[in-house]
Amino acid sequence: MGLSHAVSERIVPKPANAPLPVLVAEDVFVSYGGVTAVAGMSLEVRPGEAIGLIGPNGAGKSSFLAALAGQNKVVKGRVLLGGTEITQLPSYQRARLGLARTFQMTSEFAGMTTFENLLTAGMGVEGAALSNVILRHRANRAQEIGAARRAWAVLQRFDATHIANLYGRELSGGQRRLVEIMRCLMRSPKVLLLDEPMVGVAPHLVARLVRDLKSLRDDGIALVIVEHALEVVRELADRVNVMALGRLIASGTYDEVVRDESVQAAYLG
Amino acid sequence: MSAWSFYLSTLAVYFGVDVLSGISLNLQYGYAGVVNLAYIIFQSVGAYVAAATALGPDTGAAAFQHYIFAANLPFPVPLVLATLAGGALAGIVGLFSLRRMRRDYQGAIMLIVSLIALQVVTADVSLFNGSNGLTGVPKPLSWLPLSPLAYQWVYAGWVCIFCIAVYLLVRWLSRSPWGRALKAMRDQEEAAGALGLNITVLRLQVFVVGGLIAGLSGGLLVEYIGAWSPGAWGYAETFVIFTAIFVGGLGNYRGVVLGVLLVPVVFLQVTQFLPQIGYPGLMDSLEWVVIGLLFMLCLLVRPRGLLPERKPLAAEGSLPFEATGLLPYLGRRFGKSAA
Repeated sequence: MGLSHAVSERIVPKPANAPLPVLVAEDVFVSYGGVTAVAGMSLEVRPGEAIGLIGPNGAGKSSFLAALAGQNKVVKGRVLLGGTEITQLPSYQRARLGLARTFQMTSEFAGMTTFENLLTAGMGVEGAALSNVILRHRANRAQEIGAARRAWAVLQRFDATHIANLYGRELSGGQRRLVEIMRCLMRSPKVLLLDEPMVGVAPHLVARLVRDLKSLRDDGIALVIVEHALEVVRELADRVNVMALGRLIASGTYDEVVRDESVQAAYLG
Repeated sequence: MSAWSFYLSTLAVYFGVDVLSGISLNLQYGYAGVVNLAYIIFQSVGAYVAAATALGPDTGAAAFQHYIFAANLPFPVPLVLATLAGGALAGIVGLFSLRRMRRDYQGAIMLIVSLIALQVVTADVSLFNGSNGLTGVPKPLSWLPLSPLAYQWVYAGWVCIFCIAVYLLVRWLSRSPWGRALKAMRDQEEAAGALGLNITVLRLQVFVVGGLIAGLSGGLLVEYIGAWSPGAWGYAETFVIFTAIFVGGLGNYRGVVLGVLLVPVVFLQVTQFLPQIGYPGLMDSLEWVVIGLLFMLCLLVRPRGLLPERKPLAAEGSLPFEATGLLPYLGRRFGKSAA
């Protein structure tokens, strides 16, 4: 029995009226200088669904996530966003189509305040275009005011107005993660890719972030979360995919995959 | 007295030109993180184009020097062309040097471009008269009925007008959504791309805008000096301006003005009044030592400069910087007390 066949037997069946997947990866391969980091990974995630991606160190999780985001080149396979093939698109074009991501190392704009971080995300490409700033100044200004209002609304939603005027470099680890997530929200994404969002976050803030991410999922945003903290995955993910050596070795609910012998073997060696 | 007046007016012109250079480099490096170690060539192309389009044909009385363009265009066309030349050269250089690569590699490429440009212009006499450079550039405001000393100060005022205009324009652009996109690119390039920003285009845009200002500064300088040669634009000249913006404060245009006042004006001019020691030329050489030491001291002791980048405060219902300044501060300070 082939591995992919064994895995497909454990995939949780979807109801007939389930929405179409918003992000699809088909048989994706990623290589770095001759080393295959991702070997034939596939994934589907629907609006309002959270997929956890777990596995031992070196399984290729972050490489796969980076391939979905456009940071890594896909040497074989396809990635589709909202039905549109984005395999060869650079990351900034995928972002314009509704793909947002956080990074393993926090990626707040350290020399900008939290508010500026959000405002930059909220203005988007058109708002930041030099031609629009110069030639369509009034419309650009109106757009900026609208984005500022949304930024304050997001800050209030996450009880973060007190950090609005702090530089990114002045924030704690948890606050930086929160800024990343809030920044993604300003883009109104269809899909949010989260690469180890709890790394460096104080334990008392983890529950808060999980709650925040759940509310995003409930708002209809599709989440793909790479995470080593299994309790977070258990709390947040509707389905869990387990990777090892660049391949999918199990897929199902959290309880199903942790009981899987191949998953236990991959973690314990 | 007139000697002092002449000296101070000359200093004022150089100060103004260096302020323009500082604004340009501050926008490129302080805001966008683009390491433009070739800055001086963009100033120089402006100077050469302004000269070559004002000198007229390289025949007759001007036959001792050879140059392209060789036009005799009326004021202010040479200055406009100088500005555009700076921007155009920046666009060309930027297209191949600002691709997605590490910033240290970009800086190295810029330095190499600067060295190559110096060699090419020095070697090819037909371009801009080689190592001898161009001389006899007509004064653009000579049609005004002014004494030589009065002309000096009027020209200083002319440069000052450009400084104020460019300062206000660039500060406005820096505080705009485009300016914030530059800062995002400076701080986290990949994350900025993940927000949909095209990093390559942003880099090229800021490079061209800086190039336009550089070209303008070169045009203004050559129209004052009346001459320009490769000796005026060694790659080390860029470091003087870099030192100025670091000392003054990266990302702060007031800091740029302070840094330019301190470094190219005060520090470098003070050496002119020190007693000459050692062999001839030693004091001039020591100027470069002072610049280098000042740069290192700044990086070690106060890397953000004397006037660091100002925090753009925002309040609910306002945009960044609208809550910054004396009036908003007073409103917050006393408005709450009154309540």
